Amino acid sequence: MASRTVRPVIRFEKATVAYPGPGHPALDQATINVDKGEFVFLVGPSGSGKSTALRLVLREMRPTTGRVYVAGKEINRLATWKVPRLRRQIGTVFQDFRLLQNKTVSENVAFAMQVIGRSSRDIRKNVPEMLDLVGLADKGGRMPDELSGGEQQRVAIARAMVNKPMILIADEPTGNLDPATSVGIMGLLDQINLSGTTVLMATHDNGIVDQMRKRVVELEHGRVIRDEATGVYGFQH
Amino acid sequence: MQIRHISTNLGHGLRRNLSMHLAVVLTLFISLSLAGIGVMLSKQADLTAEVLGNELQIQVYLCVPKDPNNAACVGEVTDPQKAAIDNVVAANPEVSDYYFESKATAFEKIKELLGPEQFEGRDAVVTEKDMPQSVWITLKDPDDYDGIVDAVRNLDGVSYLKTARDLVGPIYTMIDVLKYASWGAAAVLVLAAILLVANTIRLAALARRKEIEIMRLVGASRIFIAVPFLLEALVTALIGVGLSAGALAAFTQWALIGGLDDNINALPFIGWDEFVQTALLVAVAGPLLTVAPTLLLTRKYLRL
Repeated sequence: MASRTVRPVIRFEKATVAYPGPGHPALDQATINVDKGEFVFLVGPSGSGKSTALRLVLREMRPTTGRVYVAGKEINRLATWKVPRLRRQIGTVFQDFRLLQNKTVSENVAFAMQVIGRSSRDIRKNVPEMLDLVGLADKGGRMPDELSGGEQQRVAIARAMVNKPMILIADEPTGNLDPATSVGIMGLLDQINLSGTTVLMATHDNGIVDQMRKRVVELEHGRVIRDEATGVYGFQH
Repeated sequence: MQIRHISTNLGHGLRRNLSMHLAVVLTLFISLSLAGIGVMLSKQADLTAEVLGNELQIQVYLCVPKDPNNAACVGEVTDPQKAAIDNVVAANPEVSDYYFESKATAFEKIKELLGPEQFEGRDAVVTEKDMPQSVWITLKDPDDYDGIVDAVRNLDGVSYLKTARDLVGPIYTMIDVLKYASWGAAAVLVLAAILLVANTIRLAALARRKEIEIMRLVGASRIFIAVPFLLEALVTALIGVGLSAGALAAFTQWALIGGLDDNINALPFIGWDEFVQTALLVAVAGPLLTVAPTLLLTRKYLRL
């Protein structure tokens, strides 16, 4: 790695996550630095440790050994009551969208603001702006099941971004989408990244990785086996 | 915004799980009522002991002029006689504690027990002067009283002895049986109520798992996520407490005041003061019984 002038927003220092019993650790001595504003693909086969790495960033778990820093906080030492504050700086998008089916598109996005106590005025201002950003300005009143998969993922991205987090975590965000729709979603993530948000995306989608030419960190059996500034997927199915 | 969000969630939560909440309310209502009745019976036992003495007590009545209970009494007990009795009682190893009761206290007690009307004015049946002084002895062991009875019985100035166990023993036995039966049933029902609370939380957490997961991920505070569950627990507890207080009030009005107290004059009965004390206990216990397990279980089921 070249010398850095920017402080990393995510830093894994020989992070290991081991479960009791036989088998290799979910993450094995992984060292990864992600700078502010970077777009990083996390690739590797199932069970390689991608999801574990994302869960560490979200402080859903702690490393067994080693250290993980997120937004300047060492998550091993972060008190449980401080975790919500950390998560407010991280937006999350999943393969299965995870929208609330009994709420409209606008309500789904507003929900992320309501539950952290943002004012009604902020919500009225930010939600339409965010829907506009993801290209759903005219669909705020629709229910999630009236939308296509790509549109639902855009709602999920709007919800993840509405609190203006510094990091966006995306776990296989195109996993349920056709290639054409995936390209649209990647364009949106790229746009979000260009506006300054750090994006860490776990994926199996080699077409997208090859096309985007962003940094690629490859994991295998929990170990970092490749870290390239502008890589391709490289993993053979 | 948060208050509106919480109140909307509370309404939804109560409606969504209505049958479970009703089950919690009903078991809480019955368990708190039974526990409350147990507490009131305990207070009844205390009151009875205060007036009639308890099983551990022996009452030594001292001579009065023209004592109807003992022809050997030549007049009112004298101070030297009282001092001699004091010495004997104090030295006896069976005695745990004792005190002298004055004529005035005895008179107040009988007035309280039977109502003051017949003890006032010129036609009073008995006056303070007629009441005997007494020594109230508390034993170390209720079955070990032969020595003190023998030592005191024939002292000068002693009219007669009464062992409270003969009179109040059966009453205490009855009160104890009812009290422990109430507490036993209440304990089983409290356990049922806690299990129902646990099931309610588990069902609610399952129904709202997606919502809760999103809340966690976007950084909602733990207390914010748990508050709707805590409020649901509090609302069901308060309804249970309200119903139970009503049942205890009915018990006080119709069983105690309008029932036993009107028909049995030989015993004093508790009333509204004791009801208020019991209702306060129930009002504290009810929310504790639902909110405490909710606090513990939300951590488990909501992975906070």
